Amino acid sequence: MEASAGAIAVNGVSKVFPTGLEALRKVTIDINPGEFVSFVGPSGCGKSTLLKLIGGLLEPSRGEIAVGGRKVSGPRRDIGVMFQTSVLFPWRTVLQNVLLPIEVFGLERPSATEKARGILQLVGLGGREDAYPRELSGGMQQRAALSRVLITDPRIILMDEPFGALDEFTRERMNVELLRIWSERGQTIIFVTHSINEAVFLSDRIVVMDTSPGRVVAVLDVLLPRPRSIELMKSPSFARTAFEVREYLGVAR
Amino acid sequence: MKGLLREHPGVVLSPLSLVAIIVVWEIVARAGLVSPLVLPSPSRVWDGLVILFRADWFPQHVWLTTAETLIGFAIGGVAAIALGIVMVNLRIFKEIVYPYVVAFQVMPKVVLAPIFITWFGFGMESKVVMAIAISFFPVVINTVVGLESVPENEFLLMRSLVASKSQIFWKLAWPTALPSIFAGLKTSLTLALIGALVAEFVTAKEGLGTLITTFSFELKVYLVFAVIVVVSALGLLLYGIMEFLERKIVFWRHSRFTG
Repeated sequence: MEASAGAIAVNGVSKVFPTGLEALRKVTIDINPGEFVSFVGPSGCGKSTLLKLIGGLLEPSRGEIAVGGRKVSGPRRDIGVMFQTSVLFPWRTVLQNVLLPIEVFGLERPSATEKARGILQLVGLGGREDAYPRELSGGMQQRAALSRVLITDPRIILMDEPFGALDEFTRERMNVELLRIWSERGQTIIFVTHSINEAVFLSDRIVVMDTSPGRVVAVLDVLLPRPRSIELMKSPSFARTAFEVREYLGVAR
Repeated sequence: MKGLLREHPGVVLSPLSLVAIIVVWEIVARAGLVSPLVLPSPSRVWDGLVILFRADWFPQHVWLTTAETLIGFAIGGVAAIALGIVMVNLRIFKEIVYPYVVAFQVMPKVVLAPIFITWFGFGMESKVVMAIAISFFPVVINTVVGLESVPENEFLLMRSLVASKSQIFWKLAWPTALPSIFAGLKTSLTLALIGALVAEFVTAKEGLGTLITTFSFELKVYLVFAVIVVVSALGLLLYGIMEFLERKIVFWRHSRFTG
């Protein structure tokens, strides 16, 4: 696989919805292969819209987006998407949910089933393959959703507030595990959140956004060492970075 | 018993109230307060039931009405689901047809019974057509509503996987719609029975509806009540079968913990 396959180039992208709402104005960002980038900002800043544009689920009104050097003209199978809700189908077991992309892609089932079991083991859902989604807690449901993304080995994972509906304790555990999986596999991850701490803890870079119109106000490098553990959140450098983000968001004023 | 009464008062009190009603009804009838031609006593109705179930001509009436109901329901249900699917997938078709569907849904379809007898004769066909007509529309509407209730993120997930239209339909929209379709089917089965009976009331040689009108003319009111009991039991049985199928097929709507 090409090294540049995970690169994303957003070039002067604007998005105006048919209602006249200007969701994004002239956004330009370059994201490197294997980079972990968070989009942070208040509700209505267009961070989810930007994510959907990159995923080819929406079309920009102006500007261009390229993924792996190719212009985005619709959804693509080398990009995995995760939402705030798990979007597991209640009539499928956990294993069947994880295998959904394999079915849609028309790939071979037996080897994929073994792989799915391995991934479920990796995310801590070993033994729950035959459970139905409603038998799982919110955190476990998101683990299953993450497994469904990982099964196709995407070069890029787009995550739209994936842990936003979880309690703080579960969310922090999921953050640690996400970093572990990412460090092993090295996908490009774009992570939308409105939690500043979550963004600082996870990211290489933070894209700070603001509303009316939705736009990028700053891009910050997070110079904290890796691998990161929860203790890092006590450190002065962590606090300093988080405060910097708050300043850009206007919270500190 | 006391504990059960406290925790599930309905489970205990509902059957008890039925017993109480029957007892009071029996006392009122035996005291001669009401003419047996108006309201026969429960024991008289029981006699009627015994007569019906001992008669060798009775099963064919039960069978005929059941067959009319089930055939009408099956044809109406399948056609309705098919129409619903076409409407959801062909926008322009839906925009043309949907107003008629709603109009027919609102119209009391029993008014069609005499016409169907004229068109399709005194036999089984007119009853089946009536059952189709009356059971069709709730299923069409529930199919359309169900297929259009696919949540945004579920749809986006399938789009992000570059799923084909038919994959989105069969893997997502169809299962999403099933609970709604089943709700429609449950209503429709009961309606199909009504349709068959109403058509039999109008004109028929056989069937439970015919028995009711015939016994009424003959002033055998206790037999009319006995047939009503049989019809109610038939309705309950059909509804129970649908409940059972729904629990099996749309299992994720009911069983909270199966593991």
